[in-house]
Amino acid sequence: MRQAPPSRDPSRRAVVTGLGAITPLGNDVETFWRNLRDGVSGAARITAYDPANEEVQIAAEVKDFDPRTWIEFKAARRMSRFAQLAVAAAAQAIEAAGLTIDDANRDEVAVAVNTGAGGVGDVAAGQMTYHESGPKRVSPFMVPMLSPSMAACQISIQNGIRGPIITSVAACASSVQAFVEAQRLIEHGDAEVVITGGTESAVLPVAFAALNNMGALSRRNDDPRGASRPFDADRDGFVFGEAAGIAVVESAAHAEARGATPIAELAGGALTGDAFHISAPDPSGDGAARAMVRALRDAGVAPDEVDLIVAHGTSTSLNDATETKAIKSAFGEHAARLAVTSNKSMLGHTLGAAGVMSALNAILAIRDGVVSPTINYETPDPACDLDYTPNVARALAVETAIINGFGFGGQNAVAVFRRLS
Amino acid sequence: MTQRRAVVTGLGVVAPVGTGNDVAWQALTSGRSGIKPVTRFDASGYGKAGIGGEVTDFDPSRFMDAREVRRHDRNTHFAVGATGEALIDAGLLGEDRKVDPARADRDRFGIVFGTAIGGIGMISEGVQTLLERGPARVSPFMIQHMIPDAASGMVAIQFGIRGPNMAIVSACATGGHAIGEAMEAIVRGQADVMLGAGTEAPLVPLAYAGFSQMRALGTPIDDDPTTASRPFDATRNGFVIAEGSAVLVLEELEHARKRGAHIRAEVIGYGSSADAFHMAAPAEQGEGSQRSMRAALARARIGPEQVDYINAHGTSTPLNDRYESAAIESVFGEHARRVAISSTKSMTGHMMGAAGAFEGWVCARVLETGCIPPTINYREPDPELTLDYVPNEARQADVRVALSNSMGLGGHNSTIILRRWEGE
Repeated sequence: MRQAPPSRDPSRRAVVTGLGAITPLGNDVETFWRNLRDGVSGAARITAYDPANEEVQIAAEVKDFDPRTWIEFKAARRMSRFAQLAVAAAAQAIEAAGLTIDDANRDEVAVAVNTGAGGVGDVAAGQMTYHESGPKRVSPFMVPMLSPSMAACQISIQNGIRGPIITSVAACASSVQAFVEAQRLIEHGDAEVVITGGTESAVLPVAFAALNNMGALSRRNDDPRGASRPFDADRDGFVFGEAAGIAVVESAAHAEARGATPIAELAGGALTGDAFHISAPDPSGDGAARAMVRALRDAGVAPDEVDLIVAHGTSTSLNDATETKAIKSAFGEHAARLAVTSNKSMLGHTLGAAGVMSALNAILAIRDGVVSPTINYETPDPACDLDYTPNVARALAVETAIINGFGFGGQNAVAVFRRLS
Repeated sequence: MTQRRAVVTGLGVVAPVGTGNDVAWQALTSGRSGIKPVTRFDASGYGKAGIGGEVTDFDPSRFMDAREVRRHDRNTHFAVGATGEALIDAGLLGEDRKVDPARADRDRFGIVFGTAIGGIGMISEGVQTLLERGPARVSPFMIQHMIPDAASGMVAIQFGIRGPNMAIVSACATGGHAIGEAMEAIVRGQADVMLGAGTEAPLVPLAYAGFSQMRALGTPIDDDPTTASRPFDATRNGFVIAEGSAVLVLEELEHARKRGAHIRAEVIGYGSSADAFHMAAPAEQGEGSQRSMRAALARARIGPEQVDYINAHGTSTPLNDRYESAAIESVFGEHARRVAISSTKSMTGHMMGAAGAFEGWVCARVLETGCIPPTINYREPDPELTLDYVPNEARQADVRVALSNSMGLGGHNSTIILRRWEGE
C-alpha cells in the first residue's frame, strides 16, 4: 500500500473531483479523451488567419468554440480568447465535480490558473490599431484583457470565488506549476478547493513568425497530422496549439464531506531551475531529472512505483533527447519498464496549457486503465530509446503517473498523480 | 520541530527615485519625486499625462554582458540589476558573479520573480516589425524574452539559482504575492533561500495608449510632473506609469544565522484574496482587500493594534484611495486612526508588477531605520479620507510591525507583514 509521507495529514491530501477541457481534440473531456486514445491528430491548416504567405501554415487550433455556450455574451466580448477558453473549461469542471460555490464556501475556494503568454493577441491587436489609427483608437479594454492573470480573475468573477487567485508563468511548464501550487494550497490549508489548470490561445502571425525564426516549429505544411512526431528520428519541431484545461482539486476531507467521488489523487510535485539558457534545455537533463526525483520524494513515491510518464515530448530534436536522458537518470533501470507517452503528437504544443493537457491525460489514464499513444512514431532515434507507447493505445492499470513540463528559461515542473486506494 | 521562519537578508532596487538601496532610500525619505517627462519615446501626444516614473540612472551592463543586454527586454535588465545588488547586499555573490555555493546551496535557492505584463516592449516592437518588414524580420528572441517569466528565468541563469522558479502574475498585486509566496516556500521547507521580487518596464507607447484610453492616468498641477501622483489628496485624478524592480532576499532563520548573515527584518504574514467583482474596478469599500489584510494578520498571529505602519497601495486614483482607506478603517477599527499610513507611489508612480516588491523593500527599510517616508503632494484633504497619511514630511517613529497592501486589475489583493528584527 502506498502511504502519504508521514508528515502529511491524510485529510489534507489533494484529490481531483472534476475536469473540463477545450482542446484541438474536442470541447469536452470525454471527446478529448476518446480522440486522444484513438490517436487522432488535432493539427490542420491555420484558420485563425490566412497563412498563405507564411512559412508555417499549420497549428492545432480549438475548433467550433462558441463562448456563449458557457459565458454570457457581454462578458464574453470583453474577454480575450485565452480567458474565454479557461472560463468555459472551468464551467465544465465545476459542473462535473458537482461543486456548488456559494456564501458558505466562496472564501475557501482558490483559483490557480496559469498561462504562457496571456493576452499576447490583445497586445498585437493593440499595436496594429496604434500603428494604423493612432493611440486614441486603442481599446480601453486592452490593458485588463491582456493581463495574463485575467483567465484566473474571470473564473473568480464568473463563479463568485473569493479565495486566493494565483497566476504564475513558467512558459511551457506553466500549468504543471499550477498543479504543484494547487497541491500546496490544499496541503497547507490555504484553501479547501482549488480551480486549477492552464490556458493558451496565441495563434497569431507574430507568434508564428518569432517561433519559426527560432527554428522551433515543424514546417510540414503539407502533412499537418504527421508534423508533430515526438521521439521519432525525423522530428523537426513542434506544432503550435491552443487549448484550456481545468481540474477541480480539493482536500480529501472536503470531498468526503460533500459526498464527491474523487477521480485521482494529486500526490505531490516539484519545481526546479536549470540555470542554463533562455531557450535551450540543459543537455545533461540535470534540472529535469532533479524535478522528477524531488516530485517523487514530495509525493512519497518510489521511482519503481511509477507506471506512466506523460512526457513533455515536444517533438523538437533537443527536448525529446534531453528528456529521455533525464528520465533514465531519474528512474535508472525502471526507465525501460515504464510507459511514456506524448500527447503533443496529437494536441501540438499548447504552451501554457500543455501541462494541464498532460494532467488530464494522466488522470484519465488512471481512471480508465488506458495509456493513450504517441502517434507518428515511425523511425526510432537511438537517442530516444524508451517505450513511448507508439501509435496505438494500450491497456495498463496505471496506479501512479507523473507529468513533465519544461519551459524556456529552464523552468522544470513535475506533478504526481495516483489512483486512490 | 520548531517553525521555520523567513528573514530578510538582502535588498536590491532599481526605481524611478534612484538605483541602489541608499540612493533610493535617501530620495524617499527626503520626499523627492522620481516622476518626470518621459524620454524613452515621444510622449507629447499624451499631453499632461506624458510623464512617468522613468528610471534614468541604471546601467544594465553592470551584471549582464553587452550582447545579453541587447537581446533582453528592459524588464529583465531591471530584474538582473536589482538581484545583483541584493545578492551582494546579502553576502551571497561569489567571485564568479554567481551565488557562492559555499554560502548557499544553489538547488535549495529559489525565485519568485513577478511581473504584471512582462516584455510588452518586445511584443509591440515585434508586431511593428511584422507590419513594416514582414515575418522573416521578427526577432527569434521575441518569444522567450517577452513572456512574463523571462526575467525569472534570466535571473536564475545569470546567478546560477537552481531551485523552484516561479513568475507570479497578478497585475498590480504581483509584488505582494511574490514576497508572500517566497516566504511560504521557506516556511514550508521547499527552499532555504528565496528571492521575492518584482519587475516591470511599461514605459512604451502602447501601454500609454491603453491606460490613457482607460482614463486611468493622473495629470500634474501647474505643469509640474512631480505633482501628478497625489494619493489620498482630494484632487487626485489617476496614477502615473512607472518602471523598475525590487528584490528581497528571504532566508530561513537558522540558515541565515549559521552563515552570520545580517538580518534586516522578518516576513511574518501573507494574505491573498479575490474580489470576484469586476475586471477593472475594485470591490466597494475594498471588501476584498479587507479579507486579504485579515488573512495576513491571522497568518502572522498578531492583532491589528500591533501594526505600526502601513505602506498603502495608494495609487492616486479616486476609487482606490477611497476604498483602501475604508478597508483599513474596517479592519483596524479604532487603531486605524493611530497607525501611520503612507503611499510611496506619490514619489515613484505606479511600478505595477514591481510595486508590491518595492513597497516590501520600503517596509524593510522603515523597520530598520524607524524612518517613515511621506505621502508627498498631500495638499488638500479629502473629507472622506481622514486617516494619518504621513503628509509631505518623513517621520521618525518606533515601528515594530509594517504591513503592505497591493491590489490589481481583475480583483487581486495581496498583503504582506514584516517585523523588525530584534535578534530574538
